[in-house]
Amino acid sequence: MFVILVYDVKEERVAKALKICRKYLTWVQNSVFEGEITEAKLRMLKDELKGIMDETYDSVIIYKFRTKQYYERETLGIEKPSHEDFIV
Amino acid sequence: MKKPLYIFSSGRLERRENTLSLETQEGRKVIPINSVSEIKVFGELDINKRALEFLTRNQIPVHFFNHYGYYIGSFYPREALNSGFIILKQAEHYLDREKRMYLAKGFVAGAVNNILKNLEYYRRKGKDLKETISSIEEKFKAVSSVDSIAELMQVEGEIRKTYYESFNLIIQVEGFYFDKRTKRPPENPINALISFGNSLLYTTVLSEIYRTHLDPRIGYLHETNQRSFSLNLDISEVFKPVIVDRVIFSLLNKGQMQLKHFDSDVGFSYLNDKGRSIFVKEFEDKLNTTIKHRNLGNVSYRRLMRIECYKLYKHFMDEEIYKPFVGEW
Amino acid sequence: MRYEDRISIGGTLVWYYYICKREVWLIGHGIEAEQENDYILLGRYIQEIFYTRKRKEIMIDNTIKIDILPGRKVIGEIKKSSKFLESAKMQVVFYLYYMKREKGIDMEGVLLIPEERKRIKVSLTPELEREIEEVIEDIGRILKLEKPPKAVKIPYCKKCAYRSMCWA
Repeated sequence: MFVILVYDVKEERVAKALKICRKYLTWVQNSVFEGEITEAKLRMLKDELKGIMDETYDSVIIYKFRTKQYYERETLGIEKPSHEDFIV
Repeated sequence: MKKPLYIFSSGRLERRENTLSLETQEGRKVIPINSVSEIKVFGELDINKRALEFLTRNQIPVHFFNHYGYYIGSFYPREALNSGFIILKQAEHYLDREKRMYLAKGFVAGAVNNILKNLEYYRRKGKDLKETISSIEEKFKAVSSVDSIAELMQVEGEIRKTYYESFNLIIQVEGFYFDKRTKRPPENPINALISFGNSLLYTTVLSEIYRTHLDPRIGYLHETNQRSFSLNLDISEVFKPVIVDRVIFSLLNKGQMQLKHFDSDVGFSYLNDKGRSIFVKEFEDKLNTTIKHRNLGNVSYRRLMRIECYKLYKHFMDEEIYKPFVGEW
Repeated sequence: MRYEDRISIGGTLVWYYYICKREVWLIGHGIEAEQENDYILLGRYIQEIFYTRKRKEIMIDNTIKIDILPGRKVIGEIKKSSKFLESAKMQVVFYLYYMKREKGIDMEGVLLIPEERKRIKVSLTPELEREIEEVIEDIGRILKLEKPPKAVKIPYCKKCAYRSMCWA
């Protein structure tokens, strides 16, 4: 599946959240990630995030798409990394 | 889904915070470790043992290419899958002359049938390939009667020569002309494309073999003792016309690949970074294209290479004799 | 060593015996399923987190981790879902039988399905003991076959990590 993940966590936990997400998804810009991921990996990612979150204060939102069929990404301003970059 | 990563830039690849980090002049790029299936390195890359250990733990093979895009070698991490049974069978089919010939001929037959598919496609599109086709069909008849690898290789070589010569009929683009196949080094752009595409394919198949129980060192058509990996070369024979050649035809005929994408040195030609990037994109697109498999639904060409490995399992287990993949077009 | 003397492989083979005999042969010949299959990853992950978070485990014969629930002689087996209950139950029966026969310890078993918050008790009855003996014998017969039992299309194939291997 394809996901877009955004988080809003307290400053002291930002670095941790960033570190976890970077293992699974492509960093797009501040607290925004995207990428293709499987059920199992998504489960691991969520468990890791739950491990560092304060669930009474922080929030993580994951938008899931079964396929990328209707996906189109439009950028205004400067170009940011995309999960489709496979040549670096 | 995991994807291959192509590194064209120069810099340092590291394990950092449990994922991959690529430090280049333009800055740092973080690569999600969980999204990478294999790495192909073209740039001048520094990598240390800690990073290699990390790649091993995540079962990611790394293939290295030199400045001109030639394959140098691979980092083939310790294998996760091992079956004494399969390896012994693989060896048995190598040691038994008849069994080895069967498989070697199978790979050649796959290659030739896929070559003919390409030629027939372009003939239908109005290219004058009638003679090439009948000449190849004629030469192919000899395959059933040869009984040594050397003879088989010779027949295969002749067929490929005829086929490559027909590239001038298929690719009618100013500035691209094929005289003869030159490999070390490729002397002109079309040769450079074939060499580059083939090396990409060899490493792609090697990465697929890595995820199976097969030992890539035991090949049948390609001599096992002469090089470190040979089974990937065997399987690649079947897919070269389907993947590499079609990518070349399409890039040139559509004008996406032009002479400005090549650099040349004394007596040889190679793709520059822009050219490689165009090629790699088309190549990956092709690998991700899906076709219908009779039992498995829609499968990509990359997946078909893995399926080819599994067909060899079945052959070794004496379940179903190996019949190479022949693509429709 | 005979497979039935190795509890780890034995248990796995019993589990597959009730789903697909071909798989029994493949595993018995060291041909593991595709490791990158998502169901395999998920199943393994759920077992892992369960092991590390909640349980004490002990090693038996240096081969398998069997969970002994604290203070009781209970063998636990963790599954991702209750989909293949019969398989899972017989796998536990195998462990119980093994502990009785090899170690002389009578134990109780429990199937744990953390994702569904389920626990199902399993005891070794004389009938089950007879059944598992027959299964062990039949697995031995399958493993001796020259080639794997023919692939048969069953609903399990759809998500099976051997799918491409069997239907290539």
